[in-house]
Amino acid sequence: MKCALITGGSRGIGRAICIKLAEESDYHIIINYRSNLEAAKETLAQVVALGNTGEILKFDVANFDDVNQSLDTWFDSNKESVIEVIVNNAGITKDGLFMWMPKEDWDAVINISLNGFFNVTNYLMKKMLRNRYGRIINMVSVSGVKGTPGQTNYSAAKGAVIAATKALAQEIGKRKITVNAVAPGFIKSDMTADLDEKELKKLIPINRFGEAEEVANLVSFLASKKASYITGEVININGGIYS
Amino acid sequence: MNITEIISKTNDFLVDEFEAEIDELQPDANLKDTLELDSLDFVDLVVSVETEFGVKLVAEDFVGVETLQQFYNLIEAKLN
Repeated sequence: MKCALITGGSRGIGRAICIKLAEESDYHIIINYRSNLEAAKETLAQVVALGNTGEILKFDVANFDDVNQSLDTWFDSNKESVIEVIVNNAGITKDGLFMWMPKEDWDAVINISLNGFFNVTNYLMKKMLRNRYGRIINMVSVSGVKGTPGQTNYSAAKGAVIAATKALAQEIGKRKITVNAVAPGFIKSDMTADLDEKELKKLIPINRFGEAEEVANLVSFLASKKASYITGEVININGGIYS
Repeated sequence: MNITEIISKTNDFLVDEFEAEIDELQPDANLKDTLELDSLDFVDLVVSVETEFGVKLVAEDFVGVETLQQFYNLIEAKLN
């Protein structure tokens, strides 16, 4: 069974990616979540409603041991399966001015976005190399490309993942494994629910926030064989914000 | 498992999985050159050893391993 693993797949952009991959690929969809079981179940229901198969898999991407144990257990029950697509989507924001930023907020954001990328991708790397084919898609942000005031922690984490994307792409390209980053701007989701869209859209040439499905369309393309010659790229999807 | 059995079993999977010619598999032959391994190919070697012998090799284990004999010795050391 060929699978796509989407971390943080229960809600928002992650959910949209699960649904789009279910719609446009034959991959068995593994929906990772950390805390919101109900949301994960709802995502799975939508995947199944599209005629695809999927399952939910709980682990905290920031916790190295949890990732290893959960995936060990999963592979014990799915010995013939291959995870061909990894979408490193799990992330959080803990915004605030850097001068007031508690270390916990710095660490929490770095641990999920950056160390989460390491924990999940590193675990699966040998298997993917053996498979001699794969797609790794790292969800980053316009904040990681140009930096956003009030998000020094988030910008640092996403910027680091962008650099890791470029390095890893060069390491493993010859095994037909591509590694790309997708950098959304303002996308309607829980993460942007508190933002003033009316005011912020003045900064966006397309004059609106994006939809999660629009991001999912791009991820689905990068996860497909059609994107076989694209690697090490950071693809902005932000309505034209200069980045 | 003695060293003769290790050599035999190792050579078998090197022929089957790495397309090595049995005649090339001389104890003093260079492991990397003989098998035409690049750095990523070591993952295949590690997995094969794990599958065949049930021992896990890590990158540090290969430090100083240049010849096939040294590779056989490494597996023997790991087994014992």
